[in-house]
Amino acid sequence: MSATALLSVDRVVKEFPVRGSARVQRVLDGISLDIVKGEFVVLLGPSGCGKSTLLNLIAGFMRATAGRVLHAGGEVLSPDQRRTVVFQDYALFSWMTIQRNVEFGLKAKGVPEAERAKIAAEFIALVRLTGFENRYPYEVSGGMKQRAALARAMAPNPDVVLMDEPFGALDAQTRVLLQEEVARIVAQTGKTVLFVTHSIDEAVFLADRVVVMSAHPGRIRRIYAVDLPRPRTARTRALPEFIALTQELWESLKPEWQLEDIAAAPN
Amino acid sequence: MSPRAAVYLRNFAGIGAVLAVWEGLATFGWINATLLPGPTQIFWTAIDLLRDGTLLRHVAASLERVCVGFLIAAFTGLTLGVLLGWFRPLADLAKPVVEALRPIPPIAWTPIAILWFGIGNAPSYFLVFIGAVFPVFVNTFAAVRNIDRNQINAALCLGAGPRLLIVDILLPASLPIIFPGLRIALGVGWMCVVAAELVAAQSGLGYMIQTSRMLLQTNYVVAGMITIGAIGFAMDAAMSRIERRLTPWQEAVKSA
Repeated sequence: MSATALLSVDRVVKEFPVRGSARVQRVLDGISLDIVKGEFVVLLGPSGCGKSTLLNLIAGFMRATAGRVLHAGGEVLSPDQRRTVVFQDYALFSWMTIQRNVEFGLKAKGVPEAERAKIAAEFIALVRLTGFENRYPYEVSGGMKQRAALARAMAPNPDVVLMDEPFGALDAQTRVLLQEEVARIVAQTGKTVLFVTHSIDEAVFLADRVVVMSAHPGRIRRIYAVDLPRPRTARTRALPEFIALTQELWESLKPEWQLEDIAAAPN
Repeated sequence: MSPRAAVYLRNFAGIGAVLAVWEGLATFGWINATLLPGPTQIFWTAIDLLRDGTLLRHVAASLERVCVGFLIAAFTGLTLGVLLGWFRPLADLAKPVVEALRPIPPIAWTPIAILWFGIGNAPSYFLVFIGAVFPVFVNTFAAVRNIDRNQINAALCLGAGPRLLIVDILLPASLPIIFPGLRIALGVGWMCVVAAELVAAQSGLGYMIQTSRMLLQTNYVVAGMITIGAIGFAMDAAMSRIERRLTPWQEAVKSA
């Protein structure tokens, strides 16, 4: 554990009871990970490796069976405003306009209404949703919903934004566009991000470090540093280093993915 | 003519045709006017009843009863639904009792309501309550049980305290399921109040049509029935308007 880490995951174990039996299933097994301020860390792994569970533990939505999560030295016991989350299914409040959604964290902070509106407008502009403030989430596309969710997570100025497969529900083109948007926004704001995905090129494109996990039980297999230049743009994908690293990750993950695929196939 | 106007025109033509045939049958004596007077006669009867205040007095009595019974039912149903929806052990305890009482038709409670409360307002309040409480409870329970965990988590990590969580998240998230329950409850309550007044009251629209039957004033009976229908329709329409106002984001879900 390093003293300078913003977030420290310290030998975390998470077990879930198996339904209809006295057994428990170990989903995370001795995870330790430090994230420093300003870093973009991606958790990459096959389904069942516990990457989303780890994110939920860091957010404070659940507690570890053993070990602990530290935020700026203090143990994480419940969710709080210093770690906001972007969910795969957006989890926007469907009864609020995009403006109200983005303002929600500020309202919870007790920011006066006029200032709230001003800050929200800045973040709506940052995610390029200006002009859609008064739309309800159902009136906009999936990509726009996720932009709104990103603005909502960033508006209260958290220490770290946690993103749980945020682009998993989007089509391939929108996904690529939003990856570039996130890269731009992070470059602009210097935010610390923990990002969960099972897409290799998404991981390489966005990350400073890719944490590769393996499943059953979830463990950290290897951490890759990504030294691609910033800001990352559409041109990044054409760099030889980008291609080499995605290839390497694919080769190393392939056996496990194949096993997953066979396990998931109907008999 | 716009398509919308054409729809309205057909709607009115349908009602108009029925009224015309009915009037014709009555005028030419093909139906017994004592058992079913024609529409014009009923219209004039209704005007008379309005003029001498009889109709309004009975309408007011019925509305007062349905409102009181409905409010008690709404309060009970909401409270019970939230409590049982939130605390599972409590639901395990109380759900069988609720499920045992729920299939008994409200009308079947009339005899015992008279035994307990006599004749007057109380048995009507009680029967409206019995009819209205279950739809409110069932929908509130379902709403609380089906709240999206992610939306609660989103609110929590954005720093929402208990008050903000209830007022800004839980309530509006459940409203689209709770409100139709309230609307159904009011409709059932209206049916129950009329049924109660047939036997257990000395005023109200149910009482009016029952006494008119004994005097063989069929025109009063039918005028009363039409009033009951019109008020039921108006209450339902008012509730849907309120629902649309309160849950504008539901429009897309409904029209899809």
